[in-house]
Amino acid sequence: MGFLDNLLGRKRETSSTIAKERLLTVLVHDRVKLTPDDMEAMRAEIIAVISKYVDIADPEAIDVSLLRGEESDHLKADIPVRRTRN
Amino acid sequence: MARVITITSGKGGVGKTTTTANLGTALAMQGQRVVAVDADIGLRNLDVVMGLENRIVYDLVDVVEGRCRLRQALIKDKRFPELFLLPAAQTRDKDAVSPEDMIELCNSLRREFDFVLVDSPAGIEGGFRNAIAGADEVLIVTTPEVSAVRDADRIVGLVEAFEKGHPRLILNRIRPQMVNRGEMMSKEDVVEILAIDLIGVVPDDEVIVTSTNRGEVAVMQKGSQAGRAYTDIARRLLGEDVPMLVLTDDQSLLDKFMGALGLRPRRTVR
Ligand SMILES: Nc1ncnc2c1ncn2[C@@H]1O[C@H](COP(=O)(O)OP(=O)(O)OP(=O)(O)O)[C@@H](O)[C@H]1O
Ligand SMILES: [Mg+2]
Repeated sequence: MGFLDNLLGRKRETSSTIAKERLLTVLVHDRVKLTPDDMEAMRAEIIAVISKYVDIADPEAIDVSLLRGEESDHLKADIPVRRTRN
Repeated sequence: MARVITITSGKGGVGKTTTTANLGTALAMQGQRVVAVDADIGLRNLDVVMGLENRIVYDLVDVVEGRCRLRQALIKDKRFPELFLLPAAQTRDKDAVSPEDMIELCNSLRREFDFVLVDSPAGIEGGFRNAIAGADEVLIVTTPEVSAVRDADRIVGLVEAFEKGHPRLILNRIRPQMVNRGEMMSKEDVVEILAIDLIGVVPDDEVIVTSTNRGEVAVMQKGSQAGRAYTDIARRLLGEDVPMLVLTDDQSLLDKFMGALGLRPRRTVR
């Protein structure tokens, strides 16, 4: 399995890569000092503002996340908007 | 000019005391005048790791509270003419000293020594703040584990907030075989995550346990990879350009074969 992955140049998901990914995520939050509660509150406010202007398809599907960048971290909100033709 | 260097970590049990004892001894072996200060008030440990526990009369709190002179509290390591220990108090707690006391203490020690190494307690509270108060430089010890690295990141932020310059990293207890299998984060992973300079990588080494059992330190043991790693860190502190050790913890098949033939195993120590 691992051998085949290596042969095909695929990146294996080992426990160390999982550790690294988890750390990167947790540190982005630690560094920005946003608690999960803050995140949730912010998400709700973003939804409230956006829905004044567009029709949000599925509020449950909205993804607001902090991502690690090279120079700075990024707050990314992915908001599905309802597609209507009229 | 004396240098005050604090060894700290955030998370407990990652190797601060082991590091302080080994670096102190390694620097003394290089001819430097060194004092190792145990700033873990209430949890005295550096004395037993250095094998000096039987000779304590006064401690750091006695000095701060004026019950003795600084010279009287310093314990000389008879094995190394240039190595001293200032032990922590065992029966008091961290509130017995303030950051101002520590600054004053470090400044007095500066006059007598080339290096003042301060062994910090774990955590980010008073004890840690005392330990870094007098520091010119900070070394952060971590192991390649999620919780230790997360705490180290917190400490990096605090050290910078206290304007102690850019801390450098010691990655302790690396197990090369696990790293090779992808079961342990590598030094590259940890350095990328923490984004600070690495001053050394210390392998997980049984010699740390056996030498500590005897009240000796790994740098005194020939053939200990951890000892070698600490000696290299000491040399880097002195400004030497020492390449990072390439660690091979268990022997490869070839090594075993060569060993069986009485040939020197290929211990990659470059
Ligand atoms: N490189 C190593 N290889 C093997 N064992 C090690 C290594 N480094 C440290 N240890 C062991 O880990 C334990 C904790 O080490 P140490 O007391 O130096 O940590 P510490 O950070 O000072 O802990 P505390 O936060 O309690 O002060 C000890 O038993 C020590 O022998
Ligand atoms: Mg300790």
